[in-house]
Amino acid sequence: MTALSVEGVSKSFGGLRALSDVTFTVAEGETVGIMGANGAGKTTLFSLIAGHGRPTEGDIRLGERSLLGLSPDRICRLGIARTFQIVKPFGGLTVLDNVVVAALYGNADRPSQRDAEARGLAALTAVGLADRADGLAETLTLSGQKRLEVARAIATGARFLLLDEVMAGLTPPEVAEMLGLLDAVRRRHRLTLMVIEHVMKALMQLSDRILVLHHGELIATGAPAEIARDPTVLRVYYGEGA
Amino acid sequence: MIRSLALPILFGLAGLVLPFTGSSYLIGVGFALCCSIALVQSWTVLSAMTGYVSLGHAVFYGLGAYVVALSWGALPMPVGLLLAGGVAGVFALLVGMPVLRVRGPYFVILTFGLAELVKYLVIILESELGSFSRLMFGAPDLGVLYAIAFALAAIATAGALLIRRSRLGRGLLALRENEEAAETVGVPVVRLKLVAFALSAVIPGVVGGLAAMRTTYFEPMQAFDPTVSFTIVTMAVVGGSDDARGPLLGAAFFTILSEVLWARLPQVYMVVLGLLLILFVLFIPRGLAGIFAGRPGKAA
Repeated sequence: MTALSVEGVSKSFGGLRALSDVTFTVAEGETVGIMGANGAGKTTLFSLIAGHGRPTEGDIRLGERSLLGLSPDRICRLGIARTFQIVKPFGGLTVLDNVVVAALYGNADRPSQRDAEARGLAALTAVGLADRADGLAETLTLSGQKRLEVARAIATGARFLLLDEVMAGLTPPEVAEMLGLLDAVRRRHRLTLMVIEHVMKALMQLSDRILVLHHGELIATGAPAEIARDPTVLRVYYGEGA
Repeated sequence: MIRSLALPILFGLAGLVLPFTGSSYLIGVGFALCCSIALVQSWTVLSAMTGYVSLGHAVFYGLGAYVVALSWGALPMPVGLLLAGGVAGVFALLVGMPVLRVRGPYFVILTFGLAELVKYLVIILESELGSFSRLMFGAPDLGVLYAIAFALAAIATAGALLIRRSRLGRGLLALRENEEAAETVGVPVVRLKLVAFALSAVIPGVVGGLAAMRTTYFEPMQAFDPTVSFTIVTMAVVGGSDDARGPLLGAAFFTILSEVLWARLPQVYMVVLGLLLILFVLFIPRGLAGIFAGRPGKAA
């Protein structure tokens, strides 16, 4: 079943065309990786889906419902949560309070504070941060803050997660740990994921399907193995001689 | 939890005992203290919890005073006071939409400018109406005013305590830390900021009305005096605004200080206000409450 459809989406910032005529669908339970160089439009795509900004053209739908014009908090309650490439923890709050507020406001069923605390703790446990619950979020390491981003997204009860470079800046062992954790979480909660990642090996391993963006255009889509030998992708990444 | 309630309870008991001293001087000081506590606690609901620092709370205080002065003799006193709070709250809702779109120093300047704008509009309006200042005959005596001010201080303190622990408070603290992230986890930031702004305006409106009754006249320059806004911010900074204890300490400190200074060196009051503000911002950002909690260092 189609979870998300992006139909002919373009986005211009003044004269700059960040995305042009991008069309694809994401099936429920699927993990879709997004590849592309810096400036290819990956984060812009996430921003538009999450409601931070409106496409210049095209439509974005969750199931049958158009998301155009909805505020980010509304889109979150409909079940889409995103993480930020540059982490944005609620630094002055405790790690637990970071996820409790997500559970309180992100879930459409309006849980009680006690209930939200339980859901928050479960999300922290899922990413291995339960033992840091009482510390301030700003005291976490980068790896910890990246995991907190994921925990916060999970705590909202969203079933559709947009993960923007949750492995960037992590050491190889931390990447391996994050991969294991994401795999476990998506199975347990039957999540649909869209993943932006520069760590190629991780992206290949995690994704069922990969979309390749180049200068705002969708130039290829396919299973990881296909993408790895797609002539268009190779040309873009390695130049004409490849 | 127990520790954070000890000080409010102590203040409450002292406030209940005060009228039995029979000293109108002490009750007068108590009245001023209760008004300040009510103002600062209300201010923290917006400014400490969302990080939107208002330098214009005098506008709500002034509007409240104006409403009570206008309705004086036409409406029963309690109705006038409730109306004062209502008008202040509705005004906050109306101006909040545009004003809360800007953050940081822009918000500070905008709230200050807005308060001045309203002050001069009221002055123009009053001179058009041919009234220079309004006298209010038959105002309730000090004991009654004190009782109302005490109730307002208690409500504002309890409100600040409860909101901080509520669903609303958690949302406000999250948007203070990072508005964009708060939005993406489902916090309706625009609505919550408006609610906080309105909540923080209602009690200052009532306090303004009460203050007009105490002086028994209304005069716009005095009712909308920006010193009210400055004093609120200074009390919050000196006392600390991380929890409900700070405003109590800040208000008490300044009420005592102004009693000492007004009597002897009235011109020095603003100078001292400024100096204390600088000292506390630089060296004790958590305020007096932070010192008592044993962590005078970094502000949240």
